[in-house]
Amino acid sequence: MNLRRQLLLVSLLTLMLPWAGCEFIRETEIALRAGQEQMLAGTAKAIAGSMVQYRDKFPVRDSSYGVGDQLYIHQLDSQPEIDGYFDDWTLPTASLRSLRGSDGLIRFAVASYAQATYLYVEVIDRDVIYATPQSLLVDGASRYADRVTLVSNSPSKFSEAFTFAAEAPGRIICYRQSPFGFEAQATITAFWQDIPRGYRVEARIPSGQLGPRLGLIVQNTADPLQTGTRSSSFSGRVPGSAMSEIAELEQVAGELVGPDMRLILTDADGWRVAAAGELGSGGRDPSGTGFARRIYDLLVERGKEAAFAEPDPLGREQQPYVSAALEGRERGTWFRSVDTGTAIVAVAAPIVEGVEVIGAVVLQRGTDAILSQRNEGLSRLINVTLVTTLVVAGALLGYATWLSRRIRALSIAAEDALETEDLRSALPSALAEDEIGDLSRSFSWVLQQLGEYNEYLRSLASKLSHELRTPLAIVTSSLENLEHEELNEASLGYTARAREGADRLRRILSAMSEASRVEELMKHAEPEQFDLQAVLDSTTKAYRDVYKDRTFAFTSSVASAQASGSPELLIQMLDKLVDNAVDFSEDGDTITLALQEEDNALLIAVTNPGPELPERMRSQLFDSMVSMRSGNDSRHLGLGLYVARLIAEGHGGHISADNVDGGVCFTVAIPRMPH
Amino acid sequence: MAKRIAIVEDEAAIRENYAAAFSREGYVVDGYDARQPALDAFESRLPDLVVIDVNLKDDVEGGFELCRVLRARAADLPIIFLTARDSEFDAVSGLRLGADDYLTKDISLPHLMARVAALFRRLDAMQKPHGAESRITRGDLSIDTERMTVHWQDRPVGLTLTEFWLVHALARYPGHVKNRQQLMDAAQAVLDDNTITSHVKRIRRKFHAIDERFDSIETVYGMGYRWISG
Repeated sequence: MNLRRQLLLVSLLTLMLPWAGCEFIRETEIALRAGQEQMLAGTAKAIAGSMVQYRDKFPVRDSSYGVGDQLYIHQLDSQPEIDGYFDDWTLPTASLRSLRGSDGLIRFAVASYAQATYLYVEVIDRDVIYATPQSLLVDGASRYADRVTLVSNSPSKFSEAFTFAAEAPGRIICYRQSPFGFEAQATITAFWQDIPRGYRVEARIPSGQLGPRLGLIVQNTADPLQTGTRSSSFSGRVPGSAMSEIAELEQVAGELVGPDMRLILTDADGWRVAAAGELGSGGRDPSGTGFARRIYDLLVERGKEAAFAEPDPLGREQQPYVSAALEGRERGTWFRSVDTGTAIVAVAAPIVEGVEVIGAVVLQRGTDAILSQRNEGLSRLINVTLVTTLVVAGALLGYATWLSRRIRALSIAAEDALETEDLRSALPSALAEDEIGDLSRSFSWVLQQLGEYNEYLRSLASKLSHELRTPLAIVTSSLENLEHEELNEASLGYTARAREGADRLRRILSAMSEASRVEELMKHAEPEQFDLQAVLDSTTKAYRDVYKDRTFAFTSSVASAQASGSPELLIQMLDKLVDNAVDFSEDGDTITLALQEEDNALLIAVTNPGPELPERMRSQLFDSMVSMRSGNDSRHLGLGLYVARLIAEGHGGHISADNVDGGVCFTVAIPRMPH
Repeated sequence: MAKRIAIVEDEAAIRENYAAAFSREGYVVDGYDARQPALDAFESRLPDLVVIDVNLKDDVEGGFELCRVLRARAADLPIIFLTARDSEFDAVSGLRLGADDYLTKDISLPHLMARVAALFRRLDAMQKPHGAESRITRGDLSIDTERMTVHWQDRPVGLTLTEFWLVHALARYPGHVKNRQQLMDAAQAVLDDNTITSHVKRIRRKFHAIDERFDSIETVYGMGYRWISG
């Protein structure tokens, strides 16, 4: 990973800024909400206390029926048409209560409007069996037909059943069955409508005809000769009380409730007996806030969906906090609308008389004020931190680019210096006062040391040979004197061996000082002009004489090969290359000398078959005292190719070595003479 | 009467070895380890030949200085530099100061003896009249093998002993290529490629000084040199 990416990653840390901001805002919101909840709880408790005086208004369930046996009578805002359609009821479809029927769900609702009670039933029935006129006449309630029955105990405490069955879809007649027989009810309007896989019944019953208890029975007949399956809204023998909002309590609640607040009163079972007040819509356009809103949604606490704060469509409040209140514990909670983000704080408090819980007070309040404040702050925070992050990231990126460019320039310059052996040139950033400047200076220092070391290595050979020459002269002259003494056989052998050794030593010393002599010669040589082709041609012939077990080929693709310099030195260079080529090839191999031209240079190539050059040696092959020969061949001190290089460079050219197919090719390029 | 040879050499071991070798050849040898004692001794009596090391202990160029003084005093005194300094520059400096030969310590004792003998022979020959039998003529070149002198277009070419032997070896059989080994043998010296190249260059330069059109020594690239009779 390069420096730029690293710093870019580091710049991501600035994202901590918005995170910290959000964290702060979230904490604030929680604190504010807690405060509001506390306040609401106080109010709710006060209301609950005051509600005790309306104790007699709260319905009381007797033990003859269970909680679920009651029906809830909704309030309608307008009069529905009796036509079998539910859409003109001002109720959400969620207000439809479900019963399990034999062919599917049965959904129904009971509501009141202006002294009348309305019934809507929707039955799934695989095949609808209509009543026959006869059966209607016999029992009015047509025992052997699909039918809906509303059971009530009349104000006079008698149990009555209002049966709705149809001979055909459309308006139907309702029959009332009482202990006194059955009769068609002209006051009751009813409509039967067939739907695919079932039917719907809508009916209007004047309120006076119904008792305080109410239940629904749906009879599904599969066969005209059978009574069929019964589904009912109550589990016991008798239906439970009809529950509804109680006008007196509604009025009280309406007086107690404040703006942007909702007050719900329930009885001991959670049935809603009063609801008053509306929560503000949130005052926020859910689509208009776009990006900030999306980020905000990711950051804030979700909360429970606000729909659960609404009064229960089925009439019975069953949210956990209400249930807790009905068990005698005051409980607070909060909701949030997914659409608007509005949070709603809700508190439920029990209404207690003595030790008995007779109902609950549910108080809800929107948190618009907090929300809008927070929202504005949040978008500002998001904007500012986003810009900050971008600026910081941009600055870091630029800084990293600058930094890495300096470092790269430094590294390239150092590599160049190594490559060209110009180890004293100034490196970039050398004057900078930062760490890169230090690095540059260290680099320079290291390169300089390297240069001095190389210089030392270069002069080492000649210095050494110079220093060793005197002691060697002592040895040889002593030996030569010794040979004139009387020596026995053994001594003669020893002196001969010592002479050989000294001779070898002398040759090594002379090879060691060769480089410095070549350098000196080059310095003083007066360049002469000569035909390189003739020189190479003649030299190749000489090599054939010297190395009898190799074949030499000379090819030239150059018309004129006028060069300037010292042919003797160039031959000396060729000697080194050919000597090298001979050493690395085998008897019978062909060593090729070639003369080519390229641009303004003449190329002399010496190619021999043999082992390839190891890659790691390639760059230092032409350095002083570097030998690629293994073993201890004392003739070679790694100076031959160094001398070749000195000569090539002395002629303004350069030397290089390459692996070619199955061998090695040394190429010397020297500038061509201008015509 | 035995010839006197003075050796000015700071390295005692070498001095003794050379002295022993010269004594064996019948010379009388005086050894000195520094410039001043040598000069003091030469004050009273000059030797017949001097072998000088360039580097005399702390007296880095003492040998050159000594050569200058001696040459000023005796124009004909044979002076040989025998030194570990093998650079071209030193060799040229030494020869410019009037030394008869500049040898590195690589040289073997027999070679050194041969040179010394040759120098004395030349000195002796100078005293005698010219002998026609000792003369080789190749066009403009004439070589006196007795006196070891070379003339080009009847003008003397001042060659050192090594140079003389090289010219002699080349001109004896014109047209024949002499390779390095042959030249080395002729010059009674162990010389490497570069030294032979420098010697040939120096010889050419000396001839050029007399005749700009001199081109009788031809380089046969990769093989050696040959004399071409003009």
